[in-house]
Amino acid sequence: MSTENKKVMVVGGGIAGLTAAWELSRFNIDVELIEKTPFLGGYAIRYCCKATDECRQCGACTVEAMLKNVVNEPKIKVHLATDVEKINNRGRLSVDLKKSSYKPDSATEGVVRGYSKNNSPLHVIVDKEKCEENPDAVPEGAVELDTMGFSGKLDVDAVILASGFKPFDAEQKGTYGYKKFPNVVTGMDLELIIRENAIVVRPSDGKTAQKIAFIQCVGSRDESLGNLWCSQVCCPYALRMAERIKHKNADAEITVFYMDIQNAGKDYAGFYEKCKTEFRFVRNIPVDVFPMENDSLSMRYMNEEDGLCINEEFDLLVLSVGIVPGPDNSNLADLFDVGLNEDGFFAGIDKLNSTSTLKDGIFLAGTVGGPKDIAASMAHAGQAASEVIKHLGVS
Amino acid sequence: MTDMKNTDMEEINIATDVLVLGGGLTGIKAASEIAGSGYKVILVEKDAELGSKKGPELIGLKEEYKGLQDLEDKIKTDSNVEILTQASLVSAAGVTGDFTARLSKGKKVIEHNVGAIVVATDFATGSLNEKYGLSPADNVLTQSRMDELLASEADKEKLANKTVAFLVGLGQEGNPLVLERVLKSTLALQEIDGCDVYIYAGDLKVASNGLERMYKESREKGAVYFKLTEKPEIIENGKTISFFDTVARRNIEISPDLIVVEEELRADQLNERIAEILKIDVGPLGFLQNDNVHFFPVRSNRDGIFVAGSTREISGLPSAWTDVENIALEVRDLLGDGKKSVAKNKAVVNEDKCVICLTCYRCCPHGAIYWGDKKAVISPVACQGCGICASECPMDAIQIGGFSDEEMIEEVKSGVASGNGTPRILAFCCQNSAFEAGEMADIFKMQLPDGLRMIKVPCAGKIDLDYILNAFVAGADGILVMACHPGNCKSEKGNTYAQWRVNDAYRMLEEVGLEKDRLCFVGTASNMGSGFSSIVVDMEKRINELGLSPLK
Repeated sequence: MSTENKKVMVVGGGIAGLTAAWELSRFNIDVELIEKTPFLGGYAIRYCCKATDECRQCGACTVEAMLKNVVNEPKIKVHLATDVEKINNRGRLSVDLKKSSYKPDSATEGVVRGYSKNNSPLHVIVDKEKCEENPDAVPEGAVELDTMGFSGKLDVDAVILASGFKPFDAEQKGTYGYKKFPNVVTGMDLELIIRENAIVVRPSDGKTAQKIAFIQCVGSRDESLGNLWCSQVCCPYALRMAERIKHKNADAEITVFYMDIQNAGKDYAGFYEKCKTEFRFVRNIPVDVFPMENDSLSMRYMNEEDGLCINEEFDLLVLSVGIVPGPDNSNLADLFDVGLNEDGFFAGIDKLNSTSTLKDGIFLAGTVGGPKDIAASMAHAGQAASEVIKHLGVS
Repeated sequence: MTDMKNTDMEEINIATDVLVLGGGLTGIKAASEIAGSGYKVILVEKDAELGSKKGPELIGLKEEYKGLQDLEDKIKTDSNVEILTQASLVSAAGVTGDFTARLSKGKKVIEHNVGAIVVATDFATGSLNEKYGLSPADNVLTQSRMDELLASEADKEKLANKTVAFLVGLGQEGNPLVLERVLKSTLALQEIDGCDVYIYAGDLKVASNGLERMYKESREKGAVYFKLTEKPEIIENGKTISFFDTVARRNIEISPDLIVVEEELRADQLNERIAEILKIDVGPLGFLQNDNVHFFPVRSNRDGIFVAGSTREISGLPSAWTDVENIALEVRDLLGDGKKSVAKNKAVVNEDKCVICLTCYRCCPHGAIYWGDKKAVISPVACQGCGICASECPMDAIQIGGFSDEEMIEEVKSGVASGNGTPRILAFCCQNSAFEAGEMADIFKMQLPDGLRMIKVPCAGKIDLDYILNAFVAGADGILVMACHPGNCKSEKGNTYAQWRVNDAYRMLEEVGLEKDRLCFVGTASNMGSGFSSIVVDMEKRINELGLSPLK
């Protein structure tokens, strides 16, 4: 059977969706890639390079490369600012699409910029009035959000759900003071700080942070939240980030508060040993954070040696927030008639084939099915593409 | 800017049979998927039976087990799969699309022409008793022995009313699969009357789907976890275990009936030999893939040779299955219908200049070069166009399409001469990293010196010493050689070669009395726009302090 006229819809333009779309296009399959925000790349495109004087295998650069592949591939048709509205299941899958109701997180500025030079458009006008007040500040080529998005019907032969995850909302753990104290940031914030500034500064005063604490498992492995999973990415990103900070600033004092450190990279034992010589590891998760005069933060934890409580001050607190199910999961589950598992991620058919679902023609890729790092999301997307190809009978 | 334009194409025929090394479950699955795509598979297993190592990788896959047996039965009757048991790979000549594999089976040697090779070895288990100072005894079991006991109804009964202690994560760093074995055993023991379970653990490696829930379930059913940062004191070969509890502030002593010691899961011993024959790299801990993100998930450093599951890292079956599906895609893409369109000018060897010194053969990271009667031969399928060979060739006998020496030197000269802005800074940028970062900095309007000129190269390994020297002669005030970070080069060593050439250039600059600071080697990544900006701005500052080049 030829691949002609075979068409697959990929829902979600993060790293899993991009990879799935690209893999399918290699086999001459037409892809309709749906992304609800005005930019491709998802969360992964926002991560910084964590290399010290050598690569640390975070994989952030591979996301840039995949985005470039996708935007240059004519077999992939991208629909930005677009959402799924309805599925009409008759033979081929007929999917109604609508303009998404995307709103940027912070609408303080009239224009939002993509995170990659490969984003097209690069600038999107989200608040016309603000832009009219100061037209010189509007970059050339900026596109109005209102004019974006696709409404209409598409007939496809299969759908890959790759709508991703949500970073845990650290405000839910109120005692950490996220968004109350300026120098409490999440791992996600830190990625952006480094990506934009190339160095780590305190949000309160722009000064280099010297004494930095990482708290692991924020939003993961937490019975009080009902989040009974390890997010699998936070130990690797926190340790790599800490290494990078230490590499740029040898005087930085870094403490990692943890329950169980998870492996990062293929030579994880060697990497962890190196980290142990450079940072202090405290097997204890502090609960309360108090603000100090100079916007520093005081934390209380138990000292293993004498069992007594210690109060210690830090310049910057990084909350290693985990992966939680995407905000659209329940809606997409209803639309596509695919089940979620007990944690709220999409359920695959079985442990060995976690990309196929019980619903014929609907497949899963990436963190939509549970926590994964960049490499694992890409591999999962490859698996999904392979299952789709088998499903379509393409040879 | 010169773009890699390979418009002059030729069509060549490639072999479409595929060799799969390893008849464990991963190898069986690989054979089944590839045969399912319409290619003939030769499946090679060293033992007498396929799928013979049904060990720890099956933990937790009770429901899937039936399907695995069907798969094994199916493969044995698949006319597209030739199974060779008690066989092994002796040699493999050639390149992707055209490997000649010689296989030995008993006294016979069988030759096969294959287009791709898949390595699917399993992991091996190793005892860690010594790490805990324990000797084999009736009360000391390996995890494998415990798995066996739990698999037999008769043995299971004997475990009633026993107190069992597990040691995990204190004799090794461990991984989720090691922990999964402990959790599965614990939950199984909790089904037996009167069993008490204690777990002495270092870091619990719960970074795999479902493990946190199993950990919780076992705790709720009464398992007691002692989370330690060092080994507990083990007295009388495991009769008693003691440690100081930092929360309770006292010693806790337990005398278990049985002590179960975690096992190491390590690379197959065959890996090293296979790597030697296939000329692929042995990565960390004896697994056959370097820790290089561009190879993930299933590529080796040689095109057409793929690595699956525990060949490349400790994998349970779910991730091995993911690998196999990715390999099925790669194989389809590579072999297609047996015809491949390749660029004629990817890398061209000049017969008049080549003296077959084998420099290129030795330095090619992709194993794409062999030799014929009169000259080195570069396979247009296997060649990745990095250009390391071209820059290393002592006779300058190799030219890369779109990046010939003539074109490059012309670009260097016009780069220094054209436009405005001083000081003149020439940045040789790897197209995979620095060039992308430079474009990002430009598009995002980050600060860049007026006198900066970027020159794109396919890989930093293509940056010839001649280009650097020519740039100085042409009047460049400063030169940056910008490569991928070590461990991130798609051609593995391109950045290392570039660094060596910069070191050579330093010696020459010293001889002619040019300041060393005018030349700088730096690693960068494609998403480091701000990093690129700060590197080139710093360079401009340094050059301004030195003043313009005296060679102008």
